[in-house]
Amino acid sequence: MTFRLTCPVCGKRDVYEFTFGGQERGPRPAQEGLSAGEHFRWVQFRLIPGGPQREWWYHGQGCGVWFRVTRDPATNREVEGGGGG
Amino acid sequence: MADAGRLPPGPTCRVDFLRPLPFTYLGRPVTGFAGDRVASALYASGIRIFSRSLKYHRPRGLYSMEGESSNTFMAIDGVPNECAEMTALRAGMSVRAQNVRGDPRTDRFAFIDRFDRMMPAGFYYRLFHRPYRLWPLFQNGLRRMAGTGVLDPRRGLGKDGPRGDGVEAEGGFRAEGGAGGGSRGRMGSGVRAERYLNADVAVVGGGAAGVSAALAAAENGLRVCLFERRGWLGGHLDWRTRDFDGVALHRRGEALAARLLEVQSRSPEIVKVFTSSPVTGVWGENLVTGFTVGTGDDPFRECHWECRAETVVVAAGCMDRPLVFNHNDRPGVMQVGAAWRLARTYAVRPARVAVFSVGDDLGLEAAIDLAELGVEIRAVADAREAGRQDPELVAALEERSIPVLSGWAASRAIGRRRVSACELRPVNGAGSRRFQCDLLVANAGMQPRIGVLASVGARLAYCSHTHSYQPIELPPGVFVAGSMTGLRDPRSIEASGRLAGLHAVTCCLGGAQKPAGKGAATGGREAKATDRHAAASVATARRAAAAAASPRHDAHAHPGPVAGCDIRQGPAIGRGAKAFVDLDEDGTYKNVVESARQGFDVPELAKRFGGFGLGPGQYRVAGQNLAMIMAEMRGDPVEAAMPTTVRPPLVPPSLATLAGPNHDVHKRTPLHGELAARGAIFRRAGAWERARYFSEDRACRDEIRNVRRNVGILDSSPLGKFRIFGPDALKALQRIYISDMRGVRHGRCKYSAMCNDMGQLVDDGVVVREGENDYYLTTSSGRAGTTVEWFRYHTRYDGWDYNLVNLTDVLGSLNIAGPNARKVLERVTGSDVSNGGFPYLGCRRITVGDGVEARCLRLGFVGELSFELHVPSSYCRYVWDLLIEAGADFGIQPFGLEAQYCLRAEKGHVIIGAESEARVTLTDIGMGWLWDREDTVSKKVGAPALRACEKQSGRMKLVGFRVDDGLGSPRDGAVVIDGDEIVGYVCTTRRSEALGWQYGMALVREGVAGRGGRIHIRQEETPGRQEPCTATVVPPPFYDPEGRRLRS
Repeated sequence: MTFRLTCPVCGKRDVYEFTFGGQERGPRPAQEGLSAGEHFRWVQFRLIPGGPQREWWYHGQGCGVWFRVTRDPATNREVEGGGGG
Repeated sequence: MADAGRLPPGPTCRVDFLRPLPFTYLGRPVTGFAGDRVASALYASGIRIFSRSLKYHRPRGLYSMEGESSNTFMAIDGVPNECAEMTALRAGMSVRAQNVRGDPRTDRFAFIDRFDRMMPAGFYYRLFHRPYRLWPLFQNGLRRMAGTGVLDPRRGLGKDGPRGDGVEAEGGFRAEGGAGGGSRGRMGSGVRAERYLNADVAVVGGGAAGVSAALAAAENGLRVCLFERRGWLGGHLDWRTRDFDGVALHRRGEALAARLLEVQSRSPEIVKVFTSSPVTGVWGENLVTGFTVGTGDDPFRECHWECRAETVVVAAGCMDRPLVFNHNDRPGVMQVGAAWRLARTYAVRPARVAVFSVGDDLGLEAAIDLAELGVEIRAVADAREAGRQDPELVAALEERSIPVLSGWAASRAIGRRRVSACELRPVNGAGSRRFQCDLLVANAGMQPRIGVLASVGARLAYCSHTHSYQPIELPPGVFVAGSMTGLRDPRSIEASGRLAGLHAVTCCLGGAQKPAGKGAATGGREAKATDRHAAASVATARRAAAAAASPRHDAHAHPGPVAGCDIRQGPAIGRGAKAFVDLDEDGTYKNVVESARQGFDVPELAKRFGGFGLGPGQYRVAGQNLAMIMAEMRGDPVEAAMPTTVRPPLVPPSLATLAGPNHDVHKRTPLHGELAARGAIFRRAGAWERARYFSEDRACRDEIRNVRRNVGILDSSPLGKFRIFGPDALKALQRIYISDMRGVRHGRCKYSAMCNDMGQLVDDGVVVREGENDYYLTTSSGRAGTTVEWFRYHTRYDGWDYNLVNLTDVLGSLNIAGPNARKVLERVTGSDVSNGGFPYLGCRRITVGDGVEARCLRLGFVGELSFELHVPSSYCRYVWDLLIEAGADFGIQPFGLEAQYCLRAEKGHVIIGAESEARVTLTDIGMGWLWDREDTVSKKVGAPALRACEKQSGRMKLVGFRVDDGLGSPRDGAVVIDGDEIVGYVCTTRRSEALGWQYGMALVREGVAGRGGRIHIRQEETPGRQEPCTATVVPPPFYDPEGRRLRS
């Protein structure tokens, strides 16, 4: 498996330089009144869209930024307009 | 000079007869010459049987000269499965046959061939399995008789090869001959290298098309990497002497290659040519991988490389498609390319008398060429009907009185161990002719090397014009050129290469061929490529596009793809024929018939069932023929035949090369030399090489005793050290740490922990406030590398303004611990370090020696009075010397990681990964007091999980224990049992000198320990102890429970 990702700071780089940060699942929910079920759903639950999805990546071997890309895990490619941000 | 087996060296000869190379075959001395392959030298010396086949132990000879089958797999210098066709000959090599008993000419297992009826397709899955208890017996027997080489474990690389210098010594696989400084075989020892390349255009194949593509791209200023598997450029032009346009073809190839090499020497940053460099595969987004076999001049034996390319031009060329006929595996049956290269490249006489059976004009040309070199050609059969051949070639054959049998093909090779005659028959129709010969050169035509195309993800379909697989859809940025596409005319091949090169240029510069998804790219390689050409890019792209238009006409002006030959198998083959579709796996035509009869009638199924194409040759020998034959058996048109998947590596590199050079990348602390001088025994700990022991006593009794009684000094430099500052620094701390960090004060260490979203402990350390919105924090050594990532990840939605700086390598850390620690420190600093002025958990800036400013933290990890000095790395040695000198009167001695591990365990301090694991939360290991449970505003990482788990029962809890006297001494990892049930395990246990008893910590299911305060620990690992021992639960800390010593 190999592909490239577009870091918003450094541009297109080899995936070896990045760490995967999981699917986009929205900000940390407020803890006041948060049930255990809701919390664990947020932590563990993932949708498998079978197509392009929003993902977090960390450019650890580069500038050290966390950023989001839209990528299709079926082809491993970034999706048009899904660059960094 | 050359012997009887040799030809006079011609203009295309690559062998230097002035440099003889002695080597041994089966212990007998043989002489080859520089430039020889092992197989060509053996063939020249009269060796015809190189090996015995996998299943039937049939004699096998030189077949492809390009490594397409395992026929010439041999053990070279003790390394099995070396492909003798591909291995450059070196002086002193020791070459042996494999899968034989004795000499391959008289193999003791040769009788097996007569029992082939016992080994139908898939026999390994079906026979000998009943009764099942006998299977291991058969299996072992089969294993002994079948298979290829044997690896000699005694020749393995020594465990203690030189380390740290990144260079692997010539240990292990050593040459038996010993001459010339040891083996230089491909798979043995020797330096491995790796290289990471970037290119705008990667060209696979250095033939006429590949070189033309590279030139076209380089002329437009694009960076080109060209990979050629042979040791030279020129492809099939290299050995052809036929006149074309008034110039010999090999001269044409040389001129083309010279042009590219000239560009390389002029601008090596633009063009990089790699010869002896087969491509192993092409991966996502055009990552081309392969390896370079070192020649004598290279500093490595084999070098793995990866080339990230914007575009790839595939010009991998063609190879012979084998003709499937009776006994087509007999030594003496050879592919056209093999016989031709043997004669022209290696100046080896392939035979005295030969017969040809071909399906392509190249075969006719080869026949003429060999006749020219003095080989008597008795007949040339061409599977194509009359009129489809190049009339010039037919005329040339007739001129030499060589009968050309159009529409004929070989039907049988005759001869028990070697070909002595052959039988030719019309493809359609009756009759046969028999010719005496010692060489039968046979193919069914040419087939493209589709491996790279398949690897790159091209969609292939059968082309009924060229009778080969052709790409019908290519991934973005991939272009195909050359004889692969069915072209044979050199001008057409060169034009197609140039066109592909220009397509790559337009693609790189954002032209019309630009694949979707790349146009909007804003940075990275893409941008760099365009930046570099910023000024000229538009103009260049236009020029390139204009140029691309012209060779298109050019290409059309030259002949297009030639019609191929669709012969599948030799005439009158018969269903029971021992006609080999796959040589490596002994897969015969008969096996294909059986396979189809049992329902495995598509190539992918037959491949699994009968093993066709599974061997080292992969697709190359079996692929297209298998697909064509299967289609015919099913009654499908040949266009329906789909080949089996070709899998990388397309050419196998040695495992040692994939493993890479043996460089152990690790960090050393600033005090490494000092510790080594004091006899430290180093061990890897995460990224660091750390002093673990200072004596051979693995219990570290002296080191521990000295810390408890006098004072010890520890190099704790790998400790994570960070500064976090900015308006939102506190918010970040509140998010990450489980405690309330608002109370962090100046001059005082706040101990806290980080949890993950499951409430598990991931890190602990102290935080000190150093100024307005400015904090200093420490993390555990193993966690230092991911701390920045962790902070930023958990605050990624918040847009907070803070900076986190990793000071781990900038600052070293020295820890002095023991009752005399203060006395030592007083001698090196004028600052107040008294208990009143600098209490436990204090943090001060103190000045040490001649003005080194140090952060000094008064902590108690090992349970004694202790000071941790954080000083700039460059001052560490100075401060170390100072402390050692000052401590001489107080018995200062260094201690290592193991002593620290025991000392802290006596205090019940946990180490992440030792006393915590994925199943337990912060509260389970007794550190729940750190958690600020009131805080729901900061969204502390882990807090919801802690809240959820706190009410659960039956969780694992960390307990301290004291092993009951006289019942044994369990070890780390021993399981805790309750009756027959395993209820936990021992994390750490040691015998303490200070306490006089064995203490430990264990993770056990809640409630188990409650019963009578006793746990039972199994200790089979301890010699002589079969009964479980008992231990009494004792809450940690075991040593100095009131903490008087660290507060003293």
